[in-house]
Amino acid sequence: MKVVVCIGSSCHLKGSREVVEKLQNLINDNNLKDKVTLSGKFCMGNCQNGVSVTVDGELFSVSPDTVEDFFKTNVLDRLS
Amino acid sequence: MNNLCTDIGHMSLTKYGEELCGDMVEVIEQGDDDYVVVLADGLGSGVKANILSTLTSKIISTMIANNMPLEMCVDTIAKTLPICSVRGVAYSTFTIVRIIDNKEAEIAQYDNPHVILLRDGKNLVYPETAAEIDGKMIYKSKISLKLNDTLIFTSDGAVYAGIGENMNFGWQRDQIIEFMEEYYRPDFTAKTLSSLLLDQCDKLYGGKPGDDTTVCAVKIRERKSVNLLMGPPRDPADVNKMMSLFFGKNGKHIVCGGTTSTLAAEFLGKEVKTDLKYLDPEIPPIAEIDGVDLTTEGVITMSRVLEYAKSYLNDDDIYADWSVRADGASQIARILFQEATDINFFVGTAINPAHQNPNLPINFNIKMQLVTELSEYLKKMGKRIKVSYF
Repeated sequence: MKVVVCIGSSCHLKGSREVVEKLQNLINDNNLKDKVTLSGKFCMGNCQNGVSVTVDGELFSVSPDTVEDFFKTNVLDRLS
Repeated sequence: MNNLCTDIGHMSLTKYGEELCGDMVEVIEQGDDDYVVVLADGLGSGVKANILSTLTSKIISTMIANNMPLEMCVDTIAKTLPICSVRGVAYSTFTIVRIIDNKEAEIAQYDNPHVILLRDGKNLVYPETAAEIDGKMIYKSKISLKLNDTLIFTSDGAVYAGIGENMNFGWQRDQIIEFMEEYYRPDFTAKTLSSLLLDQCDKLYGGKPGDDTTVCAVKIRERKSVNLLMGPPRDPADVNKMMSLFFGKNGKHIVCGGTTSTLAAEFLGKEVKTDLKYLDPEIPPIAEIDGVDLTTEGVITMSRVLEYAKSYLNDDDIYADWSVRADGASQIARILFQEATDINFFVGTAINPAHQNPNLPINFNIKMQLVTELSEYLKKMGKRIKVSYF
């Protein structure tokens, strides 16, 4: 599974770094390093609704507060 | 015109307890490749010294700017400078360094510590001829210069540093030479070299300079172009034109901005590889594109570069964060401030609707303002700047 976080200007100001850090921790905690690749992208063209995150190409809007729910619903549940 | 240029940096410390510095440095650019640097040290300190050194450096620089021969300027100054009624000596000492076509130096010095010439980082003794003009002994030299030759000259505050505090007799010109030989590195700019020496003087004075202290460095270096692309063009039909002009230029290429880097990568037929390493929590990570020397985020990174430029010009900031760190802003700062002599900005004026949110500190006006301000600072650093808008 491929998770990509937008790190462009708008998303950065809306908290990309926190989202990235939380996702990195969640992936580690759940031992998913082999199954999930986390990467970044400069601007996904969805600046208004940042932080933009895609899961296998599907676009989501995530904020530092909703990372955990997002991870559970769109990463954990999909993998199991 | 050759492939060389003259890099000039100077910094001063003001005598402890004084408001004004009694040393003055004037830099005059004559055409593209001739420079005249005048360092004047007014006798005494404070207001009187400040006025006298200003007078001296202004008279010399104005005369030289009007193409008077060096001899005549020296003559005028030597004859004009009054003898202090209290001390019985001339009011202001001076060093004049004229760089011609980046390959020849004409030096005239009166009573300042003599100019130090470093060639390949080692002291080189150069010939001097002494001439008495109106009872004042002026030492003149003509030196042909090579790449990386560095001239270092100071006011006498530098050789008095530490007197009575850390050393009995202060440190002398010989110790300054030893210090500079030890710390010299070929990639150091004139500004860095002068702040290194001034910093050491400040240390010897224990942070309380006993005299106004000025260090000036003049270094012959190679011209180096850097091109920086930021923002997509207003008319999407101009992307190819903008990219071919940008990539057609010699020198390093820096691409700033998310959309901009995507467009640049498309033009080159390559991919943008983004990193997730936050080397500075406030600066977005950098990316990589084959064929581009550095790819970064846009406005946030450049705002930081602007801050660095401000402090680089104002402070004696040799160990600044940007000089060692690896985040995007620090890397841009190093390339623009230290490496580049000629910088071409390619600025796209497309408006990103998502940035026009009043809650975000990155709207269009801020972006345009950034480029304008940064260009001003870079010009003050002696860079040649060209800005093209698309």
